[in-house]
Amino acid sequence: MAGKLDRVRDEALRARLAEAHQHLRQQQPTDAVRVVSDAFLSMLCQRPELLRKSVQMRNGLTIPLVMRWPMLGANLVPESVEAGTPRIDFVRDRFVLSEAITYYEFTVDTAIAEEF
Amino acid sequence: MKFGLFYELQLPRPYDASTWDPDAERRIYHEMLEQVELADRLGFDYVFEVEHHFLEEYSHSSAPELVMAALSQRTRNIRLSHGIVLTPPPYNHPARVAERIAALDLLSGGRVEFGTGESGSAMEMGGFHVERGLKKAMWEEATREVCNMMVCDPYGGFEGEFFSMPARNVIPKPIQKPHPPLWVACSRRETTMVAARLGMGSLGFGFETPEETGERVAEYWRLVREECFPIGHAINPALAVLNTFMVADTDEEAISRSAGGPGFFAYSLGYYYNPRTGGAHQPARENLYRRYRDLPQAEQDGRVTLEQARLLSREQIAKDEPTDEVQRALFRAARAGSAIGTVDTIRQNIKRYEEAHLDVLILVAQCGDRKHEHIMESIERFGTEVLPEFKERHGTHTAWRREQLEGVEHLVNSTI
Repeated sequence: MAGKLDRVRDEALRARLAEAHQHLRQQQPTDAVRVVSDAFLSMLCQRPELLRKSVQMRNGLTIPLVMRWPMLGANLVPESVEAGTPRIDFVRDRFVLSEAITYYEFTVDTAIAEEF
Repeated sequence: MKFGLFYELQLPRPYDASTWDPDAERRIYHEMLEQVELADRLGFDYVFEVEHHFLEEYSHSSAPELVMAALSQRTRNIRLSHGIVLTPPPYNHPARVAERIAALDLLSGGRVEFGTGESGSAMEMGGFHVERGLKKAMWEEATREVCNMMVCDPYGGFEGEFFSMPARNVIPKPIQKPHPPLWVACSRRETTMVAARLGMGSLGFGFETPEETGERVAEYWRLVREECFPIGHAINPALAVLNTFMVADTDEEAISRSAGGPGFFAYSLGYYYNPRTGGAHQPARENLYRRYRDLPQAEQDGRVTLEQARLLSREQIAKDEPTDEVQRALFRAARAGSAIGTVDTIRQNIKRYEEAHLDVLILVAQCGDRKHEHIMESIERFGTEVLPEFKERHGTHTAWRREQLEGVEHLVNSTI
């Protein structure tokens, strides 16, 4: 079972995230991070307004949604966001499970919250 | 549901002086010992203490293992919980962590809970040369190896990305087998799901409402059952959240006694964890408490009530609120499930966490400029007037947990 992944309606995106989920289950975190990063970029390309969208934090303040993307080695390049052509730079070759889970959970939650 | 106390060992500077009274740090350490001794006598289940470095005023708790060692000799039953140990190797060599956890377990008769984490403040990461983008990888590698060191006889050595050491027998070994229950600090929602997948208790440091807690519970337990790859040699399925805490004869009095606590907590937390302010901190030259108190009163109140309201969104806060200031504060506290008020108010508010199947509610009593005598009174009244009924009902929760764990083949060493 993929749990809440079933709540993602966009078939292509769900398939991509399911692939990442499979990598997590097989303890292949680096592969999972690569696939999740692609999935997140595809979300931004499909809905460019997300690049400018702000989300409310629990302290009542708002920050850009893209700033919540974890910076754990698969880093969203700020200049690329400003230019409207988002890019993720991989500054590491290898990721661990907790990092991959963090990227995966963030992306699935965002997909659900943004009703993909 | 079980209950714990939480300690950052906060010490605001005096408003009108550049540094503390020479006795101030000694005083808060000894007050904490007194508070936890009382909590132990009254049947509180856990005390959690943080490890932070250089975060003046916000946390003077940089050597929790020593405080825990003192507590191990002054208490009989309360669980001594690291909330958390910073496990990235630049902070603490993994072998030293394993040795200290085991030694404390021996001294306390097997009462240690091993909370782990990585912290995210610029002051700490910069002070120990921890790169922000690597801290989670460091945490995972080191935490796994600490567990191995507590179990393997001898430990076979390790060549990792962030530390290495030859084969050694890391001694002593803990009383609790295979090792004390494992936790991880979770200030982001995603980390709770990391905890589930790695078989760790989730220390929810984000002041969640009962409703937010309820949303996480089902997914957490599903992951424990279906997708768990334990980081240690036994799993500790458990969810804990923080809650602000102050008991008094009336709700208004509790709010009044509490006012400078959570407000300062939120302010100083925001200051140190925002890279722009925390990264520019001038050591020993700032007075955060004065900055906080110099905020316009409405903003101070706003911070207090936002914190009491567990940081609900502004739209949520604005909806249906009373106009009277005190009534509004109480309204927000109730909506957030806050543990501030009379024993009746608190009982009613926190019951919602129990209904959400929370395992541990961790009460933040010592913070900001709250007074020791008020904290002692709160612990006493909560322990005698609220705690007993929750203890009576805990069997129901234990049965629910058994159902959740059906089919789980991993060894479980949880103290819930």
